[in-house]
Amino acid sequence: MSRRPRSEADIVYNRIAVLRAERDVTRKDLADEVGVHPQTIGYIERGEYSPSLALALRIARFFGLPVEAVFSLEPLPPLSETVYGRTG
Amino acid sequence: MTDRSATRDMERSYLARRYDDDRFAWTRTRRVRRRLVVAEAVLVTALVVVTFAAAAVGAERGWLGWPWTVALLGFVPLHGLLNLGIRGLYDRSGSTIDEHQRRLRDESYIAVRWPATFLTLGAVVAVYVAAWMGDAPRGLMAGFLLWFLAILVPYWHLAWTLPEEA
Repeated sequence: MSRRPRSEADIVYNRIAVLRAERDVTRKDLADEVGVHPQTIGYIERGEYSPSLALALRIARFFGLPVEAVFSLEPLPPLSETVYGRTG
Repeated sequence: MTDRSATRDMERSYLARRYDDDRFAWTRTRRVRRRLVVAEAVLVTALVVVTFAAAAVGAERGWLGWPWTVALLGFVPLHGLLNLGIRGLYDRSGSTIDEHQRRLRDESYIAVRWPATFLTLGAVVAVYVAAWMGDAPRGLMAGFLLWFLAILVPYWHLAWTLPEEA
């Protein structure tokens, strides 16, 4: 028995772990701000849970980024390439 | 509801604080949770078997007192630990759990809805059949156990399938 997304199409990729590391934010800090349990942030980071639209928007708002910069249906390239406009 | 309202509820609730207490993190590993499920299932199933067997061989009603007392005394700490292992998701107020926890809880409830329904129906049938045969007290015991099992199976499914925390 598994709790992972049912198919590849259900997987939502995200950059939460990278953004947290970059801004020195703990899971608990983020969880407290967006109103979920810290374990839930871990499940989202590992791709084991796809958040609701409202939660995804709250997380994106916390990082001050558009939601598509944090979540994607495709594997995400490095943040420097897409958001900050750097390639090197 | 603001972003932080769920967190504030968690902070207010004594039960929620207890279920999230890191002192009990050892109960939240998959290995411990599954062992607790097996232990609880063996205990309750043994009690069901003993109760039905006693009825089948026509044992004295008083004979069942000891097995029931021992099993229920063993069940209380076991279920307490199991509940800590699943962060009490079935016993906490909905306002103290988040959307992911609510989804895990609901998925388990739905996954075992048919076995739970049949166990509940079995409980009703056991009581009626026993009463019809003139042994209502034993029927009530068997019915209670089957109904109790129906309540426990969502806990067991949740504890068995919860992903490893990290």
